[in-house]
Amino acid sequence: MKRRTFLGGAMAVAVLGQGSSALAQQPPIKIGMSMPQTGGLAGGGKASLLGIEIWRDDINAKGGLLGRKVELVVYDDKSSASETPAIYAKLVDVDKVDLLFAPYATVPTAPIMPFVKQRGLLLMGNFSFQVNSKVGHDMWFNNAPWGPADSWAASFLDLAQKAGGKNMALLTADQEFAQNLALTARDVAKKRNLPVVFDQVYPPNTVEFSSIIRALKAAKPDIVYVASYPPDSAGILRAVNEIGIGDDVKIFGGGMVGLQFAAVMSNLGSLLNGVVNYNTWLPEKSMYFDGTKEFFDKYTKRAVEAKVDPLGYYLAPFGYAMGQMIEAAVNSTKSLDQKGIAKYLRENEHKTIVGPIAFSADGERKETATLQAQFRGVKDKDIEQFRSPGKQVILFPEKLKTGDLISPFEAARK
Amino acid sequence: MTKHRNSIVFWAGAAVFLIAVLSMTQIVRNEYPFFAGYVILQFIALAVAWSILGGYAGYVNFGTNAFFGVGVYTAVALFKATGAPLVVQIAAAAVVGMTLGFGVGLLTLRMRGIFFSIATIALAIIIETFVMNWRFVGGAAGIQIQRPPVMAPFDSYVKMLFFVQALLVVIAVSIARYIQNSRIGRGLQALRDDELAAECTGVPTLKLKLVACMISGALISAAGAPAAMYLQYADPSSAFNLSYSVSALAMALIGGTAHWIGPVLGAILLGSTQQLLAVTISSEVNVLVLGIMLVLFVVGAPKGIIGLLRPRYRLRAGGKP
Repeated sequence: MKRRTFLGGAMAVAVLGQGSSALAQQPPIKIGMSMPQTGGLAGGGKASLLGIEIWRDDINAKGGLLGRKVELVVYDDKSSASETPAIYAKLVDVDKVDLLFAPYATVPTAPIMPFVKQRGLLLMGNFSFQVNSKVGHDMWFNNAPWGPADSWAASFLDLAQKAGGKNMALLTADQEFAQNLALTARDVAKKRNLPVVFDQVYPPNTVEFSSIIRALKAAKPDIVYVASYPPDSAGILRAVNEIGIGDDVKIFGGGMVGLQFAAVMSNLGSLLNGVVNYNTWLPEKSMYFDGTKEFFDKYTKRAVEAKVDPLGYYLAPFGYAMGQMIEAAVNSTKSLDQKGIAKYLRENEHKTIVGPIAFSADGERKETATLQAQFRGVKDKDIEQFRSPGKQVILFPEKLKTGDLISPFEAARK
Repeated sequence: MTKHRNSIVFWAGAAVFLIAVLSMTQIVRNEYPFFAGYVILQFIALAVAWSILGGYAGYVNFGTNAFFGVGVYTAVALFKATGAPLVVQIAAAAVVGMTLGFGVGLLTLRMRGIFFSIATIALAIIIETFVMNWRFVGGAAGIQIQRPPVMAPFDSYVKMLFFVQALLVVIAVSIARYIQNSRIGRGLQALRDDELAAECTGVPTLKLKLVACMISGALISAAGAPAAMYLQYADPSSAFNLSYSVSALAMALIGGTAHWIGPVLGAILLGSTQQLLAVTISSEVNVLVLGIMLVLFVVGAPKGIIGLLRPRYRLRAGGKP
């Protein structure tokens, strides 16, 4: 019996092997990247990688790229900037990969920018923020919806000013991403003659925010712009819930990292209500494009096995979109010539599961597609509620809008 | 006579090593070995420098990352302000590291053992916070740096950095070797075994500790300085990463701290394993493998690799234990 099972299995393998022999004849197309799989960025890195892997499986099921199988070569960069130069040198010089994807986030990406520029290599960016602004590499394309550097703060302040906000308070973590946001927020406020009545930077490991929130409340701001990291985002919202923030505040949030991840969201529950925060993808009507639903069906199943964020809205679909753009470029140019692919990516608009993507000269999005959405009617301890529309109503951009801002903040919290 | 012969062997070895490194930069075209090799050399320098204070004097410094980060940011600040060349960056980093080492040396007046170690961790946190708020060098957001053109005879900057780091390793090792064989080394050994007894027998303990701290600090910072140009990017969380402290300590302990060759062997073993695992297993498992290696060495070879090799070596040399 056992032998028969074995024979049956062997025959099945042989038959399957024949079926895919057309794919196996040519060497696979190798796409190389490092990805944070340990360290602080690992949660995001793994979800992003799963998105890319789903794309790889989809494309291989369709027969690969240029009739060749797609293979990913992935190394762990431990969320650190010091690991990536050696990894990318290995990918290019030893593994001889055909194409390069960047690791998730700014810090691990920054050191490889000069390297790819010097070697004239195409690099698909993965959610880093303005890493190319000083390097000026013309073969860099970021999958993130950020767009022009100041659009993030500008969209939030647009909403705020429309709601009658006349002055602003800034509360920012002393870390790379938050400081970048704070910098642009101060610039935009200055251009619009919006006085900054409170500007507090706190150390990254702060857990207790009641004194900071009291001081903020005393400054009586109309607009509260927060740029924080996951642990502090939770701490800030808890303090706001305990102390209150005053009736003057028209809008609260903006750049709080963490409120995009299922674990943090279900942990905070109803404390989220009223917060207007950035996001990249949400299960709202306006966000479904060709293939989006199918992608999330696959993701939801595989996320359990891969032990990553069960919702996966923030990063995973953009990992998939990165693959889709490469797919379109390689199929249109019919080659792996990196200059040709870069030219195609620069000159065309690309259909992806996160919507159409077009690049400006610096390799960032031409127009921002960073969402500003308001949490509404969120209950405690329920991850599944975030899968249904209406929990995070999109206020910006206009094209994707699914509702209007409820203001002031205290009214929206109810 | 043997001492003299040993010296000749050592310097000849160092010269052969440097020539090999230099010719490698001229012959090998693939750049990856230089990227990976640079990191391994950097760890050799760090481990050897660490063991001057941690091994010879027995003062466990957990603040390697503080000195390393200071080296990185001295280079960054100097380069941004004046565009100073690499040599100047490294020299300046050594001076700043030495000054910081002097400060740490003064700490040893009041603190020993675990308390000293904790104080060095605190030092790293304080300096990191300072750099985070120093906008000129990018603050918390980090800073991207454009390398200047490479100098002859090298055809790529990484190859040049590889050679420079090899030079720093030779400097660090020769200083460690000199200290080990000199009055300073014997004095440090005495104070490691019993500081009070050493003081009573006339060993100038404070002076020796200050010297050890300053030299160790200067070497660590100097080894850190080229990292700014290697990464072409600096951010406080990477530059002051605690993993530098842990690695330097682990490498020295795995190699053995009684002889200068210990940290060198430890760093080569652990550094290359790290590099190898990063591009083979590449997941949480590589952290686990390193942890297991450390535990195995602590249990199986408490005196490190040289502890395993030494008894045999001694028997061969003279039959005495």
